[in-house]
Amino acid sequence: MKKISPPIRIGLAVVVAFLSMVPVARAAIENSECFGCHSDESLARSKPDEMNPSRMSEQLFIDETRFNHSVHHNNGIGCVDCHADITKLDYNQEVPHKKQLEPVNCTMCHEEAAAAFKDSVHMKIRGKGITMNCAACHGYHYVTPQESMSVAERTKNGCAKCHNPYQSHDWLPQKTEHFSFVECVVCHVPEAPRHIHLTFFDLVTNKFYSGQEILKVLGIAESELIPLLDTNKDGIINVDEFENLELILRQKNVHAIFHAELVAEMHPSAHHVNRGTAERDCKTCHSADSPYFNAVTLVLTKDDGSADHFQVDRAVLESFSLRHFYALGGTRVKLLDKIGFLLLAGGCSVVLGHLSVRIATIPLRRRKEAEDKQSNMHKEVSR
Amino acid sequence: MNSEKLIYIHPAPIRIWHWLNAAGIVLLVVTGFQIRYAEILNLMQLKNAISLHNYAGFGVIAAYFIWLFYYLNTGKIIIYFPNLSTFAAKAIKQAKFYGYGIFRGEPNPHVMTPENKFNALQQNAYLGIMFVLLPAQMISGVFLWKVKGYSDYIHLLGGIRIIDTIHVLFFFFFASFLVVHCYLATLGHTPLAHFKAMITGYEEHH
Repeated sequence: MKKISPPIRIGLAVVVAFLSMVPVARAAIENSECFGCHSDESLARSKPDEMNPSRMSEQLFIDETRFNHSVHHNNGIGCVDCHADITKLDYNQEVPHKKQLEPVNCTMCHEEAAAAFKDSVHMKIRGKGITMNCAACHGYHYVTPQESMSVAERTKNGCAKCHNPYQSHDWLPQKTEHFSFVECVVCHVPEAPRHIHLTFFDLVTNKFYSGQEILKVLGIAESELIPLLDTNKDGIINVDEFENLELILRQKNVHAIFHAELVAEMHPSAHHVNRGTAERDCKTCHSADSPYFNAVTLVLTKDDGSADHFQVDRAVLESFSLRHFYALGGTRVKLLDKIGFLLLAGGCSVVLGHLSVRIATIPLRRRKEAEDKQSNMHKEVSR
Repeated sequence: MNSEKLIYIHPAPIRIWHWLNAAGIVLLVVTGFQIRYAEILNLMQLKNAISLHNYAGFGVIAAYFIWLFYYLNTGKIIIYFPNLSTFAAKAIKQAKFYGYGIFRGEPNPHVMTPENKFNALQQNAYLGIMFVLLPAQMISGVFLWKVKGYSDYIHLLGGIRIIDTIHVLFFFFFASFLVVHCYLATLGHTPLAHFKAMITGYEEHH
């Protein structure tokens, strides 16, 4: 056998090592190849003897348009990145890959979320025979960003799939109000970051304005929004700047209000839901120093479900700029406290002042009473 | 004393309304402070304060309708409406009495009768309270009780912040009024005379 010289040997070793790092088989399988079969709406698994067929086990059609709007596709994740057990396609077979694929392992990428989930009640229920996986909440192929979703949409697409919040929470006053304005995760995972989510809502049409619609009304590009609003250039929209935005919208004949909701941020810790750890102390939210209102963002929603967030000063929540949101005690207008103090102090001062003079003039009235008595006696005697 | 003359001024429905209203307002003020200043006050749990506030609020609303029904039914509601031609002069005279004459032991210029039980200043104050402030407080309170359910009305009136502002400002007014009202009730011929009258119904005339 012919010997290979050391430099060539080293060069070959480098090439082999490089090639071994490239997922050759996966890169070779394009999404278009998968959709060659899976875009057929009639594609289904034929297993008439299966006792508990699920929709996924029967129907194998994937809506390519919807998939192409998914967060995974938008981030360059291909079919075989998740279906990692497909390494090659053999078109000589009826099914060009294994008929029964391994379950997709989301934790390959979502490690932090997986760690939080593993220590959650949703993992623990597996001990009771209930298996809940990522797809139970997030779905399969059409996962979209949730940043732009309202509380109602987040609840509908998440917790409400299994839980009816009205069947529990008996301790909670004003259930409807809480469920309408506060996302479940905010209370159930107190450590998850959250913010007040300010969107534009048209009271006339009863619809939310998308970010694009607002930018169109303002006649600006997104990059021009902050320079337009943040006049003092501190990176935060303060009360005056917020009022200015409202004024600009009025001038453009837009009768939008700012709709505020308390939502959790898209953070892995949001998966750390556990029994007995939910926030149940009303005061945590409903007090002037509540940490739940520290982060406030103006949200420009996008069609793909993502959103751009612009930081807003917390003081906006305590101002009359935000007339359609009020969390009892938590976002109160401090000016009213001052007026209230003056009213109370005024009432008490009048009482104390009058009472003091009344006490000080007791001798005067006693003297007058005595004089009157004497005068009456004189009158009676003279009669 | 033989110079005393008892006059039946406060009929039973009004006395019942008054004390129900008084208990309700006291509860509303106490729980109101607890609700607004939960981070400072610890009189009770916030959710209990809210429940109690709601019950007391509906109690006051129910009492208001006792008052309204009685006065409309008997036609005596007219005692709340001042005679505009004499009102200004009477009000000035009454203010002079409270600000000066009362300290000198002068007689009260207003003589209470069942048909004319309020002096000009009381008439003015109660007209505003019973026909404007209390109804506004009751309506704003009901809206705040079910924000989602009344959201259309709330939006129509300018938003939850506006409703809350009305409710809070009137809350402070009523809290302040409670102090002043209790003090003014001590200005009878004895400090407890008016309190007794509101229990028995009879005011003593001298």
